[in-house]
Amino acid sequence: MNKKLELVILGIMGFILVIAVSIQIKTVNYNGTTVNSNQAESDLKSQVLRMKEKYENQYAELEKIEKELEKAREQATSNNTELTELENKIKQDNILLGNTDVKGSGITVTLTDGKGDDSVLDVENLLVHAENVLAIVNEMKNAGAEAISINGQRLVNTTAISCDGNVIVVNGEKISSPIEIKAIGLPELLSTLDRPGGTLEYFLSLGKAVDVKKYSNIDIPKYTGVTSFKYAKTVE
Amino acid sequence: MVFIAILIGCILGAIVGINVPTISYSYSSYLAIAIVAALDSVFGGITGVLKREFDFKIFISGFFCNSILSILLTYLGNKLDVDIYLAAIVVFVGRMFLNLTIIRKYYIDKWSKKYQEYKDRRKTTEKQNL
Repeated sequence: MNKKLELVILGIMGFILVIAVSIQIKTVNYNGTTVNSNQAESDLKSQVLRMKEKYENQYAELEKIEKELEKAREQATSNNTELTELENKIKQDNILLGNTDVKGSGITVTLTDGKGDDSVLDVENLLVHAENVLAIVNEMKNAGAEAISINGQRLVNTTAISCDGNVIVVNGEKISSPIEIKAIGLPELLSTLDRPGGTLEYFLSLGKAVDVKKYSNIDIPKYTGVTSFKYAKTVE
Repeated sequence: MVFIAILIGCILGAIVGINVPTISYSYSSYLAIAIVAALDSVFGGITGVLKREFDFKIFISGFFCNSILSILLTYLGNKLDVDIYLAAIVVFVGRMFLNLTIIRKYYIDKWSKKYQEYKDRRKTTEKQNL
């Protein structure tokens, strides 16, 4: 075999190899598949974490500014009785809207997915569903609860409690078992939830784990989302 | 000369490869295994040159036959529902690493020898200066 032919063949080999590699790279890119799904997953995870950190930083700043605003408002209204009254009204409204942390006597109800045993007919019954949480929230409101939070999510007038696959969504945040529902109100009245024949007893009979505790002082955090009214206008 | 030929081939291949349409995704696994087989042959060839036992016929036959055989084996594996391509990748990549080790050792030896020679030469010149 002479030298020239060897060179040509080597060139052709390089040609074929590079064509194959570039076609392969293009195909993989075009199909949007990643060679390593683990890597893609961890990439997404770190992105979420970064966004979360950013959000938390921004939120801390917002909180600081809000405190400053409150201080400024207090200073401005301290010498004027009319303004002080207005200030108190604002505070009252904020409590109603869920814009402030509140504390007081109340109860916590903790719902946990039941473990079950061989005698369980339907595993669905063991799980805590959005409807179960809704039922308890309804009963609490019926018993005069003034502020309610579910796993740290304050219930406000725009809150929805919905099912999203294997998690429950409250205020757009995903929560899952164990679900801790805190309510401020008269503890004796609120704890009638676990009366015989009541909702909680029904849940227990289905195999869910339920725990009710009374407290003389519990904290309920404020609503961290944004409430915006675009369409509703006051009737003159 | 050899390097120029390979370089020209690679550049032409890149130009054509960029303009060629993509293939169906179901065939891309065959292409991937063929690429790995071809790369294995290339590293084998380099090792052969370094060991002075390079045979051009063995090199080209290995390059094309290994690629085609690995594609056929992958196809057979698909038909039999056995992941034969995994075995092929393990073998080829394992051999690639072995060959890379040989290449690395060869160049490290070469360079350390050169360095030693350079040091010796400096010593002798220093002695002469003294």
